[in-house]
Amino acid sequence: MADTTHRGDPCYGDSPGIIVQNGSSQKPHLASDLHHCNPAHCSIRPVHCNSAPCSKIPAHCPAPHHFFCDGPRLDDYSSDPDSHSLTSQDSGIPTLEIQPAELHQPLAPRHSSPATLPLNSDGDGVHKSSTFPRSSFNSVRPFASPVRPSAGNGSGILNRSDNISVCSGSSLSTELSMTNDDAADCTVTSDSSAIVALETDDSATHFSDVTLSSSPEAVWSPVKPERRQGPLASLFNRSLFARKVKDSRPLEQRDPGWKLFGKVPPREGPIKDPKKIQKEYETKSGRAGASNPTSPHQSVRKNLDFEPLSTTALILEDRPANLPAKPAEEAQKHRQQYEEMVAQAKKRELKEAQKRRKQLEERCKLEESIGSAAQTWTQEILPNWSTLCTSRRVRDLWWQGIPPSVRGKVWSLAVGNDLNITHELFHICLSRAKEKWRSSPAPVPENGTDDAGSSDRESSLELIKLDISRTFPQLCIFQQGGPYHDVLHSILGAYTCYRPDVGYVQGMSFIAAVLILNLDTADTFIAFANLLNKPCQMAFFRVDHSLMLTYFAAFEVFFEENLPKLFAHFKKNSLTPDIYLIDWIFTLYSKPLPLDLACRVWDVFCRDGEEFLFRTALGLLRLYQDVLTSMDFIHMAQFLTRLPDLLPAEQLFQHIANVHMTSRNRKWTQVLQTLQKDQEKSSPVLKR
Amino acid sequence: MEAIWLYQFRLIVIGDSTVGKSCLIRRFTEGRFAQVSDPTVGVDFFSRLVEIEPGKRIKLQIWDTAGQERFRSITRAYYRNSVGGLLLFDITNRRSFQNVHDWLEEARSHVQPHSIVFLLVGHKCDLEAQRQVSRQEAEKLAGAYGMRYVETSARDAINVEHAFTELTREIFALVRSGDITIQEGWEGVKSGLVPNVVHSSEEVTKSDRRCLC
Repeated sequence: MADTTHRGDPCYGDSPGIIVQNGSSQKPHLASDLHHCNPAHCSIRPVHCNSAPCSKIPAHCPAPHHFFCDGPRLDDYSSDPDSHSLTSQDSGIPTLEIQPAELHQPLAPRHSSPATLPLNSDGDGVHKSSTFPRSSFNSVRPFASPVRPSAGNGSGILNRSDNISVCSGSSLSTELSMTNDDAADCTVTSDSSAIVALETDDSATHFSDVTLSSSPEAVWSPVKPERRQGPLASLFNRSLFARKVKDSRPLEQRDPGWKLFGKVPPREGPIKDPKKIQKEYETKSGRAGASNPTSPHQSVRKNLDFEPLSTTALILEDRPANLPAKPAEEAQKHRQQYEEMVAQAKKRELKEAQKRRKQLEERCKLEESIGSAAQTWTQEILPNWSTLCTSRRVRDLWWQGIPPSVRGKVWSLAVGNDLNITHELFHICLSRAKEKWRSSPAPVPENGTDDAGSSDRESSLELIKLDISRTFPQLCIFQQGGPYHDVLHSILGAYTCYRPDVGYVQGMSFIAAVLILNLDTADTFIAFANLLNKPCQMAFFRVDHSLMLTYFAAFEVFFEENLPKLFAHFKKNSLTPDIYLIDWIFTLYSKPLPLDLACRVWDVFCRDGEEFLFRTALGLLRLYQDVLTSMDFIHMAQFLTRLPDLLPAEQLFQHIANVHMTSRNRKWTQVLQTLQKDQEKSSPVLKR
Repeated sequence: MEAIWLYQFRLIVIGDSTVGKSCLIRRFTEGRFAQVSDPTVGVDFFSRLVEIEPGKRIKLQIWDTAGQERFRSITRAYYRNSVGGLLLFDITNRRSFQNVHDWLEEARSHVQPHSIVFLLVGHKCDLEAQRQVSRQEAEKLAGAYGMRYVETSARDAINVEHAFTELTREIFALVRSGDITIQEGWEGVKSGLVPNVVHSSEEVTKSDRRCLC
């Protein structure tokens, strides 16, 4: 409500303009909340807080603060009483980080409040004033008074919210009809983005210490939302706050203001930060659970470049004079607490920095080693493949993982081409497939009287189409319109023409996809066909029951040998190998494991053959044996068919290395062969 | 600690590839719908507790099978130990409806001497514009086979809870009436009343366990 008592106050002009929220104009609160004094001619420091008495002055806001102030030109302001009010947008959030306004997509507004300021020519974007709590931000636009041509800062003002403590204009206040409730409402809450990100759990620990809000009896009882104090009072308060900072605020959880307060404002590069932070926060929260819970906070912190020292300001100021003074011990206690917090914050920062540095170092080292390995492969090994491929050195290098740049080549060489497929043959198969696609259009025929062969083929083709988009959906490259959609389609289609007896089986799309990511099309087809031609793959893709059972039985021999306790536990719970092995073997681990890890498994699979697939299975079981031992059937089944996303690669390989594929002096192949022979003369016992 | 449940029912979900089995189950057990997800290779597992009546909780163990015909020989081994099943077809895919018969035959022949209580589910009912199977004919088919029929949509969360709960209730009624009984060595229905005994049936049947000392 317009409080005309301030009119005479040069620094206290009514805020011009209507604050309209999201396009609808609401009854604006008194806009004079905005402190729009040009500091140049106002001795009073800008106050951003709209809680009365005005709380804090952003000590970190340096002098050159531009406010949409038009010192003396009060009469320029709209005299419409309705045009004033700013709903206490952010009550008291003192100067949140001051940053240049930028267009941003605000998160869902917490409440529809305040009128927003009319934008001037800035357009419709909601400019983010860093000083606003995001949540209510969308309703606040940078203050722009179209009527202040003389405002020295001109349009610059609005666009640089770092300068504007548009904090919702809370200006000193009194007129602010800000209540504590409002304050709570307006504070940045976890709905707000970046700011919030800071608040969440772990990160909160970074900041909450800084937030002196824990001192209950604090101090800040203060913000008595006193509406109308006399202008003098506010003036008085204001000046007191000129450099003061509330040392504590009773805002329970939501004290983002403080957190941000700690951030030294006109910092380099902060412009990006909120956006980055917001994005990160949003993506991280979107992926909740899937990622390391601490990482979002770490990266948020990183972006913020928080400097604990900036919190100094928090305590420099004494309690506002209109409040009962703090007893000496209390003040002392607060000072101590504050110091501890700062120390802790600093320590944490240091640790984080160290950690990051270490990570960076490790990454660099890794990249270097990959780089040099790549060289070794390209220059020494590949040219002499036939002689070197069985050498100890090469086998060791192989185990460590083939550098991605040479991976495709090595796989090609290792898988070989026993089938003698030429590029030409591929193209022939491909064109045959394309013809079929053209002749049998996508929709399923209405009559169900197709003969078995053609319906199978058709459904094969149909299924291929459907499965392609479902292959590695998270990579977004195989979907319709994606870069590899057609290639995948070609490979699978050509294969069905090449081997109509096998056709397309679900699981194949993953194998082809991984090959596509590493080889060019024709070579992919060759590798694909040869790979599928290996006995194990053939057995599984043709669902040759007895053979599959033999493989499972062989697996169990080594399972029992290596992990007897777990083996017994599985048996007790009737957890048979088919339950978990099918997905693993059919897709060669490309579906259950993260892609990069799956590629490493493929590397060694290319080196060691099918035995490695089962050895990997045992490695996985070994890695998770503790977890599995405590589970019952359904939980084990669920766990094994949906392995954790963050599988530690080195650990897995460590476990695989500790699996010995020897049982009673027999190796995999021998065991398999023996079982196969037994199987042939056997009994129904082995059959389901 | 798991909540106490009265019984555990093992359900199997079958139907042609891409009719939406995995999506339906995920909507039911995880409350979410993913427009695109990986094809099921082999079997996937889910579980959820349903309260069919206040205080009566049933734990559902749901086996999500690969729909491709090629996998039938693998998945048919799983019918035997299931007490109930959802037979899905896609209302926008006529062929998937025509194959319902095959699926049923497959199931029935492999579940002997037990029987499975099936619910026929017409899925993707949100895609009304592309419907290729009418509700009446589906109901007729269901009736002919002695099953109920429900139309569901995982995307719009239509009837998802209803489908599973209906089936569970039906099975529960049969268990209560003694038409379905708990048997040792059969995983279809397990009693939850005496938690430690849950695994005893397996122990009894595993007479060929080797000594591992």
